[in-house]
Amino acid sequence: MNMENIRPGDLEWRCQKCGGNLEPAMVTVEYLGNEFTTELPRCPRCGLVMISESLALGKMAEVEQILEDK
Amino acid sequence: MCLSLIPARYEQEGDEVFQVKQCPEHGSFRTVIWRGPPDMATWQRPKIPAKLDYYASEMERGCPFDCGLCPEHRQRTCTAILEVTQRCDLGCPVCYADSGDQGPDPSHTQIEAWYRAVLRGGAGCNIQLSGGEPTLRDDLPELIALGRELGFGFVQVNTNGLRLGREPQYLEALVQAGLASIFLQFDAVDDRAYERLRGRALLEDKLRALEACARLGVGVVLVPTILPGVNLDQVGPILKLALEHSPTVRGVHFQPMSRFGRFPGGLSDDQRLTLPELIQAIDRQTEGRFPATSFRPPGCENSLCSFQGNFLLHPDGRVQALSQAHDPACCPAPEPAEQGALRTIARVSRNWAAPEPTVSPQACGCGAPQPEGPLSLEQFIEMARRRTLSVSAMAFQDAWNLDIDRVRDCCIHVVSPQGKLVPFCLYNLTSSSGERLYRP
Repeated sequence: MNMENIRPGDLEWRCQKCGGNLEPAMVTVEYLGNEFTTELPRCPRCGLVMISESLALGKMAEVEQILEDK
Repeated sequence: MCLSLIPARYEQEGDEVFQVKQCPEHGSFRTVIWRGPPDMATWQRPKIPAKLDYYASEMERGCPFDCGLCPEHRQRTCTAILEVTQRCDLGCPVCYADSGDQGPDPSHTQIEAWYRAVLRGGAGCNIQLSGGEPTLRDDLPELIALGRELGFGFVQVNTNGLRLGREPQYLEALVQAGLASIFLQFDAVDDRAYERLRGRALLEDKLRALEACARLGVGVVLVPTILPGVNLDQVGPILKLALEHSPTVRGVHFQPMSRFGRFPGGLSDDQRLTLPELIQAIDRQTEGRFPATSFRPPGCENSLCSFQGNFLLHPDGRVQALSQAHDPACCPAPEPAEQGALRTIARVSRNWAAPEPTVSPQACGCGAPQPEGPLSLEQFIEMARRRTLSVSAMAFQDAWNLDIDRVRDCCIHVVSPQGKLVPFCLYNLTSSSGERLYRP
């Protein structure tokens, strides 16, 4: 699995809803009708994912800029 | 036709909108502004006027007679145009700048003063070196380097492309000096239109210029001047050629013909191409690959002045609209004009320059199969950086249809010999007898 978007410390977080450990998982994210895949820390029980600040302000912000024509 | 300021109004008849005005001296005038869908009333992107830190002119006679800019202006400079020569090697029958052999070229000192005037009135904007034909200057590389040294990040050259194709080493010198992009006049993919508009067959020269840019990795924007009856049928073929030459061709920027400068005869309503007609022609002539719904009003200049859409080119030939569809039913909230200008400055410098070299076979467009299912974030970003095509148009205003409400939102400014920033349409405004408001 490509762990490019998961930093080692990300997997030390626990799910707020379930309290369980997060595991790397391939997820599909959707924005303005476009779907993308990426690996994210995910709660195996409820499916909640964690998006790190660096991913939100980096690649995700760039995708947002491309799609919103900002 | 006499450049007097007179009241005007818009009148709608069916799906056509006309500007109607009465000159006390020359009678009544009626010029088509808009024809067909999307409806002009829905083509809105309202803006909160920008306030500049510095205005080079004061209000004396009122808009449009105090340009420089003056405090009545509502938008900052997005692109500043510096005319580095008035000489030209073509002598087209139609020329907005009425170029020809008109005296000596401005000196380096003069051009540096213009750059500095732009820094005072529009710091951070993009630069276009124009003319005349700027590539007639052997020292054009030095002029580009001067702009880059003064802090302008994006310097583009507006050219007929003749010298670029003939002298690749000249183009290489421009690139080494910091050239970001070529704004290539490109009216058609056959010679008929060039013979009518430019006075001679030029397609081979244009294609040679494109090849030279491809070899050196220079981003190119194709700029067709469209005159119904001459080359409106070329809209689709030009876009097809643009797709075939991606990523060298980064954009196509259509300019419906206006009556500026050297323009023999008049421009009848039949010869006036409005923005919605152009949007529909793009959709129709590309069989929906660039659908009418994928174009939006601009975030920078007045909504009625242009449209813009960004498209992602997939390796399988599919064209995907990236910009959000314009929603005619929706009333958008006003956006700060300055923010729109800053976004446009960034978008132009990103989308019209050459893309970074790629390592991914999907992004290079070299025929690698597209993976099944959605792209990863990384694949999408890399493709979007490299395999996008920007399609846009700008409807200039001439003496027959100028609206000062629109011109006060203008962000494309020509630097006058005195170092004033003058909206493009006002700089080129020409009366029926050839008088100019601003151009010397």
